[in-house]
Amino acid sequence: MSHHKLEVKDLHYSYPDDHKAVKGMSFCIYHGESVGIIGANGAGKSTLLMLLMGVIFPSQGEVCVGDVHVTKKTLPMIRKSLGMVFQDPDDQLFMNTVYDDVAFGPRNYKLDEKEVEKRVLNALELVGILHLKDRAPFKLSGGEKRAAAIASVLSMHPDILVMDEPTAALDPKSRRKVMKLLTSFNHTKIITSHDLDMIFEMCDRTIVIKNGEIAADGVTSEILVNAELMDACGLEIPLSLQNCPVCRTKKV
Amino acid sequence: MANIMNSLYNMRILDDLARQETVIHKLHSLMKLLTTVSYLTVVVSFGRYEIGGLLPFLIYPVMVFTLAELPVKPILLRILIVSPFIIGIGILNPFFDQQGYLLGERVISRGWITFGSILLKSGLTVTAALLLIATTGMDRLAGALRMMKIPRIFVLQLLLTYRYISVLMEEVARILRAYSLRAPNQKGVHRSAWGSLAGQLILRTFDRAQRIYEAMCLRGFAGEYNTGGFKEIRAWDLSYFIGWALFFAVARMYNIPMLIGSLITGVIK
Ligand SMILES: Nc1ncnc2c1ncn2[C@@H]1O[C@H](COP(=O)(O)OP(=O)(O)O)[C@@H](O)[C@H]1O
Ligand SMILES: [Mg+2]
Repeated sequence: MSHHKLEVKDLHYSYPDDHKAVKGMSFCIYHGESVGIIGANGAGKSTLLMLLMGVIFPSQGEVCVGDVHVTKKTLPMIRKSLGMVFQDPDDQLFMNTVYDDVAFGPRNYKLDEKEVEKRVLNALELVGILHLKDRAPFKLSGGEKRAAAIASVLSMHPDILVMDEPTAALDPKSRRKVMKLLTSFNHTKIITSHDLDMIFEMCDRTIVIKNGEIAADGVTSEILVNAELMDACGLEIPLSLQNCPVCRTKKV
Repeated sequence: MANIMNSLYNMRILDDLARQETVIHKLHSLMKLLTTVSYLTVVVSFGRYEIGGLLPFLIYPVMVFTLAELPVKPILLRILIVSPFIIGIGILNPFFDQQGYLLGERVISRGWITFGSILLKSGLTVTAALLLIATTGMDRLAGALRMMKIPRIFVLQLLLTYRYISVLMEEVARILRAYSLRAPNQKGVHRSAWGSLAGQLILRTFDRAQRIYEAMCLRGFAGEYNTGGFKEIRAWDLSYFIGWALFFAVARMYNIPMLIGSLITGVIK
């Protein structure tokens, strides 16, 4: 597949109740980029990711991965190169042990059990939860669950990593761990969040979404400091860029 | 409230138990399945008035319990859960079948005998099924079913039902928690809220089931539930099955307690 390019052309989507969630988005993400997708609650971030993954299909426009259109027919191929980590790890982990959960993907691709084991142990090692492999996923802490969910996608060796709010509901230490982990991958990354500090640290490029439309698309360090734009889209400039709350000195 | 959360944790105890590594756990899943199936068939084949002949079949669960190092309490609890149904089915027998039956010195109605027989048979079969799950695990069991060429749609149905039960339970727990926190002085749920709670539950469970299914599809799920490679069937696995099958056959054909009894009385004479 040519350089794992991901292209979205004039994408529209309405939910069955006629709610227009995505209205004419277009962008192109190239190999090795890490892109943040930000926007207020209900802006349409999760819907966009579902469209990228082919969980739902656009009512107009198209998504291309490499040179392949995302359609029902090409889904198996698309899903091999795109891995998605869900917003709620509970939706993603459903097997009896962490090991089986991480092995679920590779086994579906009919790899032989030796290779499956190698991939599983490797993925668990990468996210640092090898010691939890025989535990039941529903008994893990929030951060551990998130790590397990990420491992379950990594074991499939995707080219592009798609993540829906990876740091939501994590305590500061776990958040830091997940961020460090994500920075260490050199996959193409697409991350939605309203954790703008995280986006600021991890993504070179940011796409801002407002009511299902793209409000801005550009270099992160320019977009996130644009107080006017952020405010109009229901966001704020990252805390790390705001004035110091104690001494009121300007940071930027 | 605490009960629900507890049962949520307990529900997966069978899966936890299935992860142990005892002699029984290490046996090939297909052989355990076959053993259980033959056990069930033989136990069910006994006549309505038979109790004595069933007694040797207690040996099987006792052996498995011991060899697999399973705790008796959680499994016994699960048998109790189904006991109301069994009693419900059997309890009418003593009324319909009033004919006398001589037991030692006393005459009792034959209905009580059939009731006892039903109770014993159901107890044995339910125990055997639970033991199979607790020593094999649902996933490997599904694999064994597939090896027996059971159509994959049925196996999948079984597995997903088993999975979704926990999804449903989790949603129940969340809804009840939210409710009880805002209705602290109330025992249970007031009936004015039943309707909306039940509606919520169905919608939420659908939603979650949908998302889980999507997550499965995204990881290449295409209708076949792969549970990892299969071990070869060793001679030992096969002999486990054949050994039990022989025992069941013999115990079915000869009334062992009676034989032993007559043997002893014969020796005494
Ligand atoms: N299943 C659904 N049916 C109808 N509308 C939905 C559904 N899911 C989301 N929406 C609506 O679509 C919009 C975008 O939602 P979503 O993509 O989840 O937002 P975000 O992830 O950015 O918070 C919201 O206004 C939401 O109410
Ligand atoms: Mg979302």
